[in-house]
Amino acid sequence: MSPVSPRSSLVRNLLVALTLVGAAGTAGVYVSASRERFWVNWLVWTLFLLTLGLGNLFLVALERLVSAHWSVPMRRVPERIASLIPLAIVLLLIAFFGVPVIFPWTYPAVAHNPILVAKTAWLNLPFFAVRFAVCAVVWMLFYRFYVRGSLRQDENKDPAFTVRARRLAPAFMVVFFFSVTILAFDWISGLEPEWYSDMFGVYLFAGTFISGIAAMLLGVLSLMRRGRLPEVQTKHVYNLGSLGLAFTVFFAYIGFAQYMLIWYANLPDEVIWFKHRIEGAWQPVALLLPLLHFFIPFFLLIGSVGKKHPAPLRLAALSILLGHFVDLYWLIFPVLGPRPLFGWPELAMACFFLGLGSLQIRRAMGRGADMPVGDPLLAQGLEWQV
Amino acid sequence: MSSGTFAVLGLFSDAHKIVEAAQQIRPRQLGRLEAYTPYPVHGLDRAIGLAPSRLGRLVMLMGVIGAGLALLFEGWVSAVDYPLVTSGKPLFSWQAFVPVMFEVTVLFATFTAGLAMLFAFNKLPFFGHPVLHSKAIKSITRDKLALSIEATSATFDAETARQALLQNGAESVEIVPVPVWNRPLSLVGLLRTIAGIVAACAVAGAGLFALEKLIPIVPPMVHMHEQPKLNAFRVSSFFADGRGMRPAVTGTVARGHLPPAFATPEEAGTLLGNPLPLTQPIAERGRKVFNDHCAICHGLVGDGVPLLSHAYGGKPGNFLSNEIRARPDGHYFGVLMLGKNAMPSYAADLDNHDRWAAVHYIRILQRAQNAKDEDL
Repeated sequence: MSPVSPRSSLVRNLLVALTLVGAAGTAGVYVSASRERFWVNWLVWTLFLLTLGLGNLFLVALERLVSAHWSVPMRRVPERIASLIPLAIVLLLIAFFGVPVIFPWTYPAVAHNPILVAKTAWLNLPFFAVRFAVCAVVWMLFYRFYVRGSLRQDENKDPAFTVRARRLAPAFMVVFFFSVTILAFDWISGLEPEWYSDMFGVYLFAGTFISGIAAMLLGVLSLMRRGRLPEVQTKHVYNLGSLGLAFTVFFAYIGFAQYMLIWYANLPDEVIWFKHRIEGAWQPVALLLPLLHFFIPFFLLIGSVGKKHPAPLRLAALSILLGHFVDLYWLIFPVLGPRPLFGWPELAMACFFLGLGSLQIRRAMGRGADMPVGDPLLAQGLEWQV
Repeated sequence: MSSGTFAVLGLFSDAHKIVEAAQQIRPRQLGRLEAYTPYPVHGLDRAIGLAPSRLGRLVMLMGVIGAGLALLFEGWVSAVDYPLVTSGKPLFSWQAFVPVMFEVTVLFATFTAGLAMLFAFNKLPFFGHPVLHSKAIKSITRDKLALSIEATSATFDAETARQALLQNGAESVEIVPVPVWNRPLSLVGLLRTIAGIVAACAVAGAGLFALEKLIPIVPPMVHMHEQPKLNAFRVSSFFADGRGMRPAVTGTVARGHLPPAFATPEEAGTLLGNPLPLTQPIAERGRKVFNDHCAICHGLVGDGVPLLSHAYGGKPGNFLSNEIRARPDGHYFGVLMLGKNAMPSYAADLDNHDRWAAVHYIRILQRAQNAKDEDL
């Protein structure tokens, strides 16, 4: 779409270089660091990319579900970020090699653990793989339906697709909530299979949704700065900021509700999970989480000024995305021990995955028109007033 | 001309036109601009010169104050004023305070938003706005948008304002006169208010009574009373023996009521000695116990002459007699626990401390009544 400027190709080359350096580093991690550390890093970053993609696919489907007008001019951005889903599914398939390394329910010692023996009906490798396959197929089907369909609509201007997309949205919502819950239970809380929290699926969904909004905000702001969305105005971004504000509160609410209920009941087998994560060396990370994920974006976005200007919006979105990484790090890394590990292996793998994700999004950003020109609601979306 | 005019009202049917008219008229400073529309019109607030509302900041401030007050109050209640350890948690458990802080934040913020909007910014109580009495009000609440130029200055000229509105696209113009105000606190108004409150109370009371007593749809709040529970003095089907109260396990001892290790006062006399030191407070406590429980039969000085009439028939012991004086402290204690002759046991009425204090006091009485020269 956009003409290839020297600056653009420079950025692309830098990203490729970053990814290659990261890939070399990742190989180095596999050779030199412990296998657990490698696969835990792999899992954190794969889930980071996957949740960004799923969050954006959810935003697309949500717009379809409620027939929103205001977000139609910006919808290409979440559709493109959703292209992280196929990439992350491939990465998660590779992570299956790590399943016997980091998931305690696959260890032979399970036979001596009565709690895990009782859970073998759910926590066994074939069923685990089937669950993942079903989720991946569902995500890919909906991804293709919404993203390919929207691109096709650019050419054939078929209004029937808009109707079909709305009809299918409720089904997506149901399947999405189940699949995100399974993702959370299987790939995150399954790392400590004795522990469980009914709210954990909702917690991951809240993080997915808010970081999806943050990624969409960054995408929209960067396209606007490059002049590629000339008709998108402050009012559109303002509304996206409002949505972001609402869901930072939702995330904080869910996160705190899960913590407070477990803290209050103080049942040893539940509270131990939080004890490992909020005491000792993990305490600073636990304090960072509400700061990045709630306080900074909340106070940036609560006034009308913060939702109208790119700088506070971008800062809030970056804070949320960093908070989302810290969240996954805080959820997953404590299985490695009582001290947070962050050294060259983490940086190298961060470079690799962030470079890979950025390249994927950049590639998708060039696909199709920057606005869904075939959508019959586009005109209303551009005229829409707060 | 300006004396009887409240405002000049111009009617529009197009939202864009009213915004344009407001933008044209405002720089001429004919009077304060106000707009009446059946739905919010984007940009009209800025066109008539409204500053951004200060309500948001006020709500934010009050919300933060609410959160802070809730935190202080809960912290003070649970950690300072009435420190009570609940399920092993620290006294100042901020986690438990958060829900209340959240609620108080919302309470302060919403009340501030509502009340400040109504009373501070919209100037309530302000009954019967003049525009409500205009002819245009019917169409304003339906499909027309009105721009009014209010007569806020002495130089206001209704004709100029009328022309300005017409030139800028107003379909019709109405001059709204200054209304004749009724006194807000008239007798009729007061009576109506009182009658209204009485009627509301009557309706609410009758409704609640009907719902609770006549139609048992809404039961009163008795859920806690109705829960399954054990009543100590009732039959219970929960236990096999059908008793609600559980018999004490064999060997159970009530706190502070160790059973005596002796069978007779004589045995007590050989086993026990007075464990209390003889101090002023203990002696005074002993006097109180003696006067309250013993003196009624044994007399205020312990001479066995009862305060009650002899018609009672008993023959209380004389503590001053040589026989009783010779008995060891433990013997007195044993009698208090077991009783003697007509005297009942005081095992249930006194505790050990009071019994020993009474024994000290009896010794004091005996010494006082048999004082030797060196005691003086």
